[in-house]
Amino acid sequence: MVHASVRRKGLVYAGCGAAVLVGAALAFTLVSPDRATARSGSFVRDGEAGFVVTHFAFALGPDAAKTGGCPTGMSKNVAEIFGETPAGQRRPGEGDEEYGQRVEAGGQSISASPDGKNFCMHPELAPFEPNTRILTSVNAPAEGIDLDNQVSRSEVDARRGLLDFTGVDGAEGVDNQFWRLVGCSRSFQENGPSNGFEVEMYTGSWGILIALRGVDDLKNDDHVDVGIHANADPIQLSPTRAALEYATYTMDQDKAFRAVTTGWIENGVLITKPVDVRFHNVVNGMHLERPLRDARIRASLSHSGVLKGILAGYTPVGDLYDFQFAYRNGKDASGAPSAMGRRLGSANGAARVLGHTCQGVYQSMNRLADGHPNPKTGKFTSISTQYRFEARPAFVIDGEAKNADDKAGLQ
Amino acid sequence: MTDLSLSSLITRFAALSRRARRIAMAAGIVIIGLFLMALFGSAGEPDPAGGPPMVRRITESQYRASIADIFAADIPVAARFEKPVRSDGLIAIGTGASGMSPFAVEQYDAAAQGIAAAVLSEKRRGEFLRCQPKHETTFDEKCARSFLTDKGRLLFRRPLTEAEAAKYVELARNVQGRLGSFYDGLELSLYTMLISPEFLFRIERIAPGDGDGTGTLDAFSKASRLSFFLTNSTPDAELLRAAEAGELEYGWGLRRQVNRLMVSDRFAGAVRAFFTDMLQFDRFADLSKDPAIYPAFNSDVATDAQEQTLRTIVEHLITEQGDYRELFTTRDTFLTRPLGVIYRTPVPTRGGWDAVTFDESANRAGIQSHVSFLALHSHPGRSSPTLRGYAVREIFLCQHVPDPPANVNFTAVELGAHTKMVTARDRLKRHATDASCAGCHKVMDPPGLTMEQYDGLGAFRTRENGAVINTAGSLDGVDFDTQDGLAKALRNHPETPRCVAERMYKAAVGRDIVWDERYYLDWLIAGFEDDGYRIPDLMRRIVLSENFFTVTRPSAQPAGRIAESGTRSGGRI
Amino acid sequence: MSRISRRTVLRGAIGGAAIGVSIPLLDCFLDGNGQALAATGQRVPVRFGTWIWGCGFIPQKWIPTTTGREYLMPQDLAPLEAYREKLAIFSGFDVKLDGVANKPHITGCLGLRTGIPVPDENVKAPTLDVLIGQRMGGDTRFRSLELSTCGLQRSYSYHAAGSPNPSEVSPAALYRRIFGEGFQDPNSMNFEPDARIMARKSVLSAVTDDRHKLMRSVGVSDRQRLDEYFTSIRQIEQQLDLQLQPPAPVENFAMPAAPGQDGTGSAMGEVMQTHRVMAQLLAKALQCNQTKVFNVLFSDTTSNLRREGETTTHHTLTHEEPDDKGLGFQKECAWFATNSMIAWKEFLDEIDTIPEGDGTLLDNCLILAHSDCSIAKAHAVEGIPAMVAGNGGGAIRTGYHLAGNGDSIARLGLTVQQAMGVQVERWGKLSMETNRTITELMA
Repeated sequence: MVHASVRRKGLVYAGCGAAVLVGAALAFTLVSPDRATARSGSFVRDGEAGFVVTHFAFALGPDAAKTGGCPTGMSKNVAEIFGETPAGQRRPGEGDEEYGQRVEAGGQSISASPDGKNFCMHPELAPFEPNTRILTSVNAPAEGIDLDNQVSRSEVDARRGLLDFTGVDGAEGVDNQFWRLVGCSRSFQENGPSNGFEVEMYTGSWGILIALRGVDDLKNDDHVDVGIHANADPIQLSPTRAALEYATYTMDQDKAFRAVTTGWIENGVLITKPVDVRFHNVVNGMHLERPLRDARIRASLSHSGVLKGILAGYTPVGDLYDFQFAYRNGKDASGAPSAMGRRLGSANGAARVLGHTCQGVYQSMNRLADGHPNPKTGKFTSISTQYRFEARPAFVIDGEAKNADDKAGLQ
Repeated sequence: MTDLSLSSLITRFAALSRRARRIAMAAGIVIIGLFLMALFGSAGEPDPAGGPPMVRRITESQYRASIADIFAADIPVAARFEKPVRSDGLIAIGTGASGMSPFAVEQYDAAAQGIAAAVLSEKRRGEFLRCQPKHETTFDEKCARSFLTDKGRLLFRRPLTEAEAAKYVELARNVQGRLGSFYDGLELSLYTMLISPEFLFRIERIAPGDGDGTGTLDAFSKASRLSFFLTNSTPDAELLRAAEAGELEYGWGLRRQVNRLMVSDRFAGAVRAFFTDMLQFDRFADLSKDPAIYPAFNSDVATDAQEQTLRTIVEHLITEQGDYRELFTTRDTFLTRPLGVIYRTPVPTRGGWDAVTFDESANRAGIQSHVSFLALHSHPGRSSPTLRGYAVREIFLCQHVPDPPANVNFTAVELGAHTKMVTARDRLKRHATDASCAGCHKVMDPPGLTMEQYDGLGAFRTRENGAVINTAGSLDGVDFDTQDGLAKALRNHPETPRCVAERMYKAAVGRDIVWDERYYLDWLIAGFEDDGYRIPDLMRRIVLSENFFTVTRPSAQPAGRIAESGTRSGGRI
Repeated sequence: MSRISRRTVLRGAIGGAAIGVSIPLLDCFLDGNGQALAATGQRVPVRFGTWIWGCGFIPQKWIPTTTGREYLMPQDLAPLEAYREKLAIFSGFDVKLDGVANKPHITGCLGLRTGIPVPDENVKAPTLDVLIGQRMGGDTRFRSLELSTCGLQRSYSYHAAGSPNPSEVSPAALYRRIFGEGFQDPNSMNFEPDARIMARKSVLSAVTDDRHKLMRSVGVSDRQRLDEYFTSIRQIEQQLDLQLQPPAPVENFAMPAAPGQDGTGSAMGEVMQTHRVMAQLLAKALQCNQTKVFNVLFSDTTSNLRREGETTTHHTLTHEEPDDKGLGFQKECAWFATNSMIAWKEFLDEIDTIPEGDGTLLDNCLILAHSDCSIAKAHAVEGIPAMVAGNGGGAIRTGYHLAGNGDSIARLGLTVQQAMGVQVERWGKLSMETNRTITELMA
């Protein structure tokens, strides 16, 4: 009898002990933090390679001064236009400051319709603007790639204003109507300010990420998946303000700013199939969007992970007009439309300083459009645009980025 | 029962009933067991030797923690603390040797003014003052006394004597007479306490007793030692109460306080403070890297790198109760995005910490593979096998490497100046062959040469200047050519646990060990091994040992400090 | 002219409520020679300072070939030609090791400054600037000021082993410390003794009251450390004392502008710039008597200076660079040595710019410039280069090159202390011990 009770007690104790052990093990696994596995290696890991864009600008062409492509001169702003009218001539005895102020006022007076609608906001109301110049030159070359697989170099094309360029690298059929649009604008010449918008990228206002998947070989790979996304994080910089490699970035959580396509690598050059992409742009505190339809990449990929080349496609005319010139749809940080004063002031001020008129640009843009014809009217609604870019290795993360400090984040 | 001879006992034993015999045997075994336990009970701790009672300056982190604990965490401490003095590898030992420069007192003075002003400011005085005078311009002696003795007790880590209490109350009264407000009086009296040596120094006192060689610390000195070792901060009210009630004289009372302190959230802070000291993180303040060569380095990275290692240490040693030696092989750590750039690994959390485990192939095993070690022990523009090897010896193994000889013969270097020296190993070849250099460089360079796969910032590389890096190295007879090999060699080195145990004890008492304490140290190290090299257990063993509170009486001390009193112009003060 | 002191004028105002009093600068406060008198009636004070540059020199470019007054200024000292009369050059004075292990760069520097060679940083005596400061630094706001222009917080000024005086490394922090809160503009005509300062002064005496009791309860070595603490408390009391008196007017003093800099670079250009800014602040601080003793560390003894864009530091170059075949010395190291002398000249420029009495601030200074070794490659402590600049208020004679011929460099330390009024007739230990004053230096 003593024997059986001892055995029972032993079983009970063993059972308790086992339960305690199991419970501890469970508690341990539950309490253990969820750990990611960290690896190291080259910039391609498990066939994935991410990049952050470190240079981004319009791909244009040599200055008009070098090519002689603007024989009738450069575009003028409203003050210069007024200055050439009889009313705008300097009166005898008029001082510099007085004359300057009068010319400015005169310029402003021809910037709006008679009932006060500013032509930057309402370019469709403006009469034909004859002082705007476009680059119609046949021989001037331009950077970029062929978008429509056609070499349009005939007389007809020239008359219609839809002449392809010969590339600066000798390529044929380069579709860069944007360069035709701005090629005779002072501010888009090489030393001009209009192509320097990457500054805002370096202050963290916007950014672009490229994510490759399925990369088996950096030299030749017949299929890779390509993601082209807006960056939700500011670019990480060294103390000398150079972009750092191998930083981690989260892609924009708004799907409108993400795009996925496929491509291939041929002799170290990445080529992608067209897809619509959309990036952010910030000018003077106004949040704008930079869409590019049928965007494709043609860029060389080095073994150290530098991706360098062209991103090209078609920018819808209205969007281009807004994000580059008139800011009609500018929004503030909360998403509400920016103050009208800011939009008007920036658009008119930019036109004045950069040497163009809003309505002139708008009219030329419509004239030079060469993509996405309206099915009913046949009128082209987008304009070929080429960007040159450089990107360096980065880690591109999707999903809700856990933000340890909710106050941190963009800017 | 007067007849206790063995034969009579046996006779009496045999005369008992069987049941009674069993009981007697059981009782006998218990008694013998207790006797044996008492003999070897403290698991064989050798006779306590003790050292002199110390006067230790409080460190910056202890100062800040004390103010935060006594008053509030957001009371501003507006002082620039000077570079601490490191002695024998630890600032904790330096606190027992360093004096106080005029610059330091100037800063403490500024801090004391700021703290007293904040505490007695109109907005906040309600938090700290439990009474109020009838009118601001009248002096309420009871209120002043209660506030000043309360805070004085916490600040001086012991109750104020009657004379001291009266003095500070008088001070408050005089100041109120000059400036008009009761609160100004309290403020400047509090300021005086904050700048008093009783606050800025931890002055240990011996409990009164018969004067032979050794004695023990008095109750409040015990509380101080306990608290600063286990929480890196001043004794709290409960610990002072226990000290005052004499509970620390008894094992049960001491254990109760030790347990309480070790489960408090301040315990991790004490472990952090120890390793920050041992790993010499204060040298980060002087660290600069060439931004053209290491663009990823900035002050955020420097802070994050230290935090990464400390978090790893706290998680491994405290949360996981892990083996100390595994710190050199663990692949678990924490990363932020700035660190992710150097480790070349993605970090999902923006602006915070991610727990990661490095892959086995990632070459990141152990705290010696962390940026905090690799970047600190390198030059501004390149890595250094010698600096790293030196750090491995001095920091992890407590092995002293002598200084370089002054009269180095450089002809060998110059003869080879035209040969192409591509990697650090090539450049250091002379060190290994020239007799006057090789002695020490053979000790330092071999582990450092394996670490050449980490550049001067800690990023991993396989080539230097285009040439593949030769990673062959060794550590006291163990050869290896991978980072994992080095990690294992460090883990298995017999000095690794000895070194940390010795350092831990020295940090606890604030001085080097005295000659007679060597047996105690051996016992500590043996106990450390028995405890599976767990650091919390080592700390518990230290504080519960008899030697921890033992001190030698002043007459037995030699004059310790090196500064000839004769050359000081003794007339002043 | 009756003897009116500003204190007399104000005495009625202090002692109860604080009243602001505006007084013009009365001419009676200037003596016939136009020298401004301190409120205490003393002459313009003498200042002492040290200036350290690291890693020695190139002997063939630094040591003048002849001794005496008519020496040819050697190549590296050429920028100092303008200061020839105010400069005394000492070559060939040694730190005698006497068997003590030579810790590279440390033993030489500390041996020069304490007179005792030590194998590590545990000095066996206070450095000479501390001894001089004890003699004459007592009545200024700061007992001494330590600056470092190379971003490292160290100085070679020690009260005792384990008690260094830390250096200011940031010009902005230096500015705030001297000219920020607590600074009294000597030429501001409004003086209001602050009642709160008086109260603070009165409570501080409570700290020093228990000194004896405390000293009795601690061990011998601890007493010395606590002594330093109490000495430092005295400095606070002194500062408060000064703040309770109207400051002595100083002619030609203008508050300097706050610098924007951080000063933690180690590239030569940055260091030279930080050095200029800090030298200017120091000169102004000396001018308005914030301190009388200073120590400047231009470059650490293991010099961390480097060329822009280069990673190798000066110190590393001294060991790794081979001698240039044509020149016969290390070319890159020579660049650093040359620039160190240019920096020394710029320092003297800042001091000399301040007009004081009939001459300049430099006339009332004794500045000892020295390095830690002669030939850095060998860490040679023989022939450590040293220079004394200034006139010490008439206490010294300069304008020559003196060769030491292997004498102990403690002679220089001894003489400098004697010139500054320290009562010492023997200084140094072991083989460095000397009682032979350098008579050429004493006026």
